[in-house]
Amino acid sequence: MQFISKANLFKLLDALRADYDVYVPVKKGKQRFYKKYERPTDDITIGEVRAFEPLKAFFSFAREVVAKGFKPDVPGADRKPFAIVGVKACDLKGFKIQDHVFKNHDYKDPFYIKNREQNLIITSDCTLAIETCFCTALGIKPHPQENFDINLSETRGGFVAEAGSEKGRALTKKHASLFQEARSGIDEDVAERRDRVVKEVENNVKENDVPHQDLYKGMVEKKFESDIWEDEAKACVECGACNTICPTCHCFLLYDQKDKGKMERLRMWDSCMIKDFARVAGGANPRAKLQQRLRNRFEKKFDYFPNVAETYACTGCGRCISACPAKIDIRKVLKRLVGNAS
Amino acid sequence: MHHNENPYRPIEAKVLEVRTETPTIKTIKFKPVEPISFETGQFVEITIPGLGEAPFTPSSRPDVKDTMEVTVMKVGKVTEKVHELKVGDTIGVRGPFGNGYPMDHFKGKELLIVGGGCGLAPIRSLVYEVFSRLGDFKKVFYRGGCKTPSEFLYKKEIDGWIAKKDINIKLTVDKGEEGWDGNVGVVTTILDGIDMDFSQGIAVVCGPPIAMKFSTQKLLSLGFKDENIYLSMEKNMSCGIGKCGHCRIGTYYACKDGPVFTYDKIKNFHEIWA
Repeated sequence: MQFISKANLFKLLDALRADYDVYVPVKKGKQRFYKKYERPTDDITIGEVRAFEPLKAFFSFAREVVAKGFKPDVPGADRKPFAIVGVKACDLKGFKIQDHVFKNHDYKDPFYIKNREQNLIITSDCTLAIETCFCTALGIKPHPQENFDINLSETRGGFVAEAGSEKGRALTKKHASLFQEARSGIDEDVAERRDRVVKEVENNVKENDVPHQDLYKGMVEKKFESDIWEDEAKACVECGACNTICPTCHCFLLYDQKDKGKMERLRMWDSCMIKDFARVAGGANPRAKLQQRLRNRFEKKFDYFPNVAETYACTGCGRCISACPAKIDIRKVLKRLVGNAS
Repeated sequence: MHHNENPYRPIEAKVLEVRTETPTIKTIKFKPVEPISFETGQFVEITIPGLGEAPFTPSSRPDVKDTMEVTVMKVGKVTEKVHELKVGDTIGVRGPFGNGYPMDHFKGKELLIVGGGCGLAPIRSLVYEVFSRLGDFKKVFYRGGCKTPSEFLYKKEIDGWIAKKDINIKLTVDKGEEGWDGNVGVVTTILDGIDMDFSQGIAVVCGPPIAMKFSTQKLLSLGFKDENIYLSMEKNMSCGIGKCGHCRIGTYYACKDGPVFTYDKIKNFHEIWA
């Protein structure tokens, strides 16, 4: 078992800057935001809980050029890859969906695949839960167990570091002098802290009465004609924040622009809550009503994805709960969907 | 899909011909700089450089590989610009995308083609494919509808098809005009009295959603099997490769799993006719 001190972790990040644009979570007020790492600062927060932004922002960007004129090459191929530090277990679950859409299923997306291959993912255990956390309801534990390059488990003076991929193993080997053998008893410390955070999330789930995913099968279909949708959609202002903030939402809009005779095609995150999302040029709109679009959002996450990718497209990160200006709470909707009342 | 390292970049094409079909519909013939072959029923995305792209099912013969035609109704910002295109203009094309009509699967069968309005565009392509392999089918029927006689697409060509007598053709209009001596009524009113074994026959339906809905209901009542009714679904296809999320139908994307679906595949999904 390897240990890296906080000071040495910063040395590692300094070294990584040669090959990567390194991003770390920093604390501002009560939130954590990703910031480009340049030097060690006091606001860098590796542990605690997930960042404000979803991890997908480093893999399919909020807005990016996908074609320049008729040229066949893939724009942005020479961009430096990202090393993202402090990624949490719920963020990793987002890959199950994003990978299915952009990498594993039928046609490949060269932009996403390049980022997925080249980016470095340094995860970390959650060391606390916030009120909106409910990952355990989705079968997720708040400490990464797979799909990371290196995972950091915060402990006294530093972190227990676990390499989870070839890339991660190569890095710990290359920078071996920064790591040391962990003192005895450290794994018990980590296990104890992990248990404590799991319990914190489980308490959240219990307090908010969030149903476990074992109860989700068929729930949207069963409640398709229910008045849940109209009721929940009442306050929605169609801002699309729930979509952009969601680690599993993947939909995008392709649009073209011309600037000084140069033609570019861009893609931008899109929102299925917006009225014209499914509208065809002829005018027909299968989801003209807001309540239909809210229902579609849940259908996509809890009916479509389990059917095509064998997983619910929710990570229990709670971002949509904090982002929604109308206070639409996914935990409450899940409770109503699973419950016996209509 | 055409070999293309970047699935979002269009291939350059030159406009060769612009034909006015009706006051609101034009056919554009173009030549891509790299040949693009398609199967009838598949669709392409046409780019107006700097403005954007929109999906169209080619209306031309699939056996012509170096040029392609799309028939376009003026309904939005892209189609408005398509209507302003002139010979020699540059456009872009991506695709073809999705699944077309499985022509080999139709071999040895009786075929009924039902189409209306701008739904005639893909059907024109299909009819040419049928003509190129007439021996494959026991019988072929075409039942077409349109709002008024003057809005009939490809009128001269259809007169030619009727004269050839290889396909049993009957047309209808919602509202007659002077000089029209054919049927008046929606397309479902000319689906009776067709001499074929409906229980074994293949039906291909293309048209506005409402026409597709009622035609499908009529075909089912005649005895067609769910899995033998081929529907060309109009959804908001954009990326063409099942990623952008706009054209979902149940567990499918119209762009990659369609746009042609058999009725059995989609009948249990919500919102299919809207």
